[in-house]
Amino acid sequence: MNEIPAGRSATPTLPDAAYERMAQVLRAGLAVSLGVLVGSLVVHLVRHPGTTAQQAIAQNPILAYLTASGLAQGLANGTAEAYLTLGLLLLIATPLLRVASGFYYFRRGGERGMAAVTLTVLAMLLIGILVIGPLVR
Amino acid sequence: MDLWTFVLLVVLTGVAAGLVGSLSGLGGAVVVIPVLVIAFAVPFPEATGAGLVTILATSSTAGASYVRERLTDLRIGMFLEIATVPGALIGATATVFLTHASLDSALLIALGCVLLAIIPGSLRRRHEELPPEGIVPDARSRKFGLSGRYHDAALGRDVSYTAAETTPALGVMFGAGIVSGMFGIGAGVFKVLALDRYLRLPMKISTATSNFMMGVTAAAGAGILLLAGYVNPVIAAPAAIGTAAGAYAGSRILPQMRNRTLRLLFLPVIAGLAIETILRGLGIG
Repeated sequence: MNEIPAGRSATPTLPDAAYERMAQVLRAGLAVSLGVLVGSLVVHLVRHPGTTAQQAIAQNPILAYLTASGLAQGLANGTAEAYLTLGLLLLIATPLLRVASGFYYFRRGGERGMAAVTLTVLAMLLIGILVIGPLVR
Repeated sequence: MDLWTFVLLVVLTGVAAGLVGSLSGLGGAVVVIPVLVIAFAVPFPEATGAGLVTILATSSTAGASYVRERLTDLRIGMFLEIATVPGALIGATATVFLTHASLDSALLIALGCVLLAIIPGSLRRRHEELPPEGIVPDARSRKFGLSGRYHDAALGRDVSYTAAETTPALGVMFGAGIVSGMFGIGAGVFKVLALDRYLRLPMKISTATSNFMMGVTAAAGAGILLLAGYVNPVIAAPAAIGTAAGAYAGSRILPQMRNRTLRLLFLPVIAGLAIETILRGLGIG
């Protein structure tokens, strides 16, 4: 027997704050990351006036900043390429923050099943970025 | 070509792709990736990385609006991400290994085939807005409460829905994740297929929820490719900026053009790019 008749919602509803917060996370993350990317890309272009497109395609300029120490050092030195890396990381982190806020609201609402699902998704994303990425490099 | 010109051309390509991709509902990455490969001689993995970054930017742009309008089903979207994320991780890892094995040409041919496979799926979209009455949720759907309600402004009433068959939907989503991670495209056609055909959700909820999921799926693939050194910001950043601007303009300026006619006009472009990509993979042209 179906406990929930078709077309009838017996689902605990997420609070309006969850929708608002997730929309805010997506908008703010996009604005900040694109802002950092645009600014650092312009600085990179100004500082490399003689570079050709072929050279730029052949040589990824951020390879030295793909480790935590390299990135921290580059950011401290104000290197445009480090900020390009930061912009990309912020863009990738935006959906992760959205998943994390989903976990928060499901857990707060006492929905263990959905909280476990979102936590699993978050764990898989972090494993992909922190473990698989560096491993396959 | 000097770098400034290259960046400007990639931004313009992104704007055009984002605009047309948003109006047709197919997304900008399906144009950006083959154009990067064919017109700018960008290697396949870097084009894939740029495509995923493009999806991250566009999905956040449209995703925020859909979430605010309550058209995105957060619960169903997050539930299905448990299948798309591992798919994307596998897809992106496969791209890295195949590139290391110098199988870029095979990847190009496969990308062309995937682009061609999108076309019939895009033509076969359902005409009716709402699923039929009497959808029976499966046990998993009931357990996770995969049902909801939204206000349909066009119909002038609240619409209730419930997810039907979660097992095949999860399978299709896993495959969509692999395609997304491997080729850098949103694979929205496959996601909407799962949401439409198996979960039997209303079309508006399917479209918005698919868009919502694309960001997380793309983040999984982009994270791997970034740390593997295949996201070149000189290529990815202008593509993402242009596509986000084009998608934003498309959603704001000409929403009335989002129709089947535009889709039909856009599909031959994708077919042409797909064939050119396959020929490039075969070493012809």
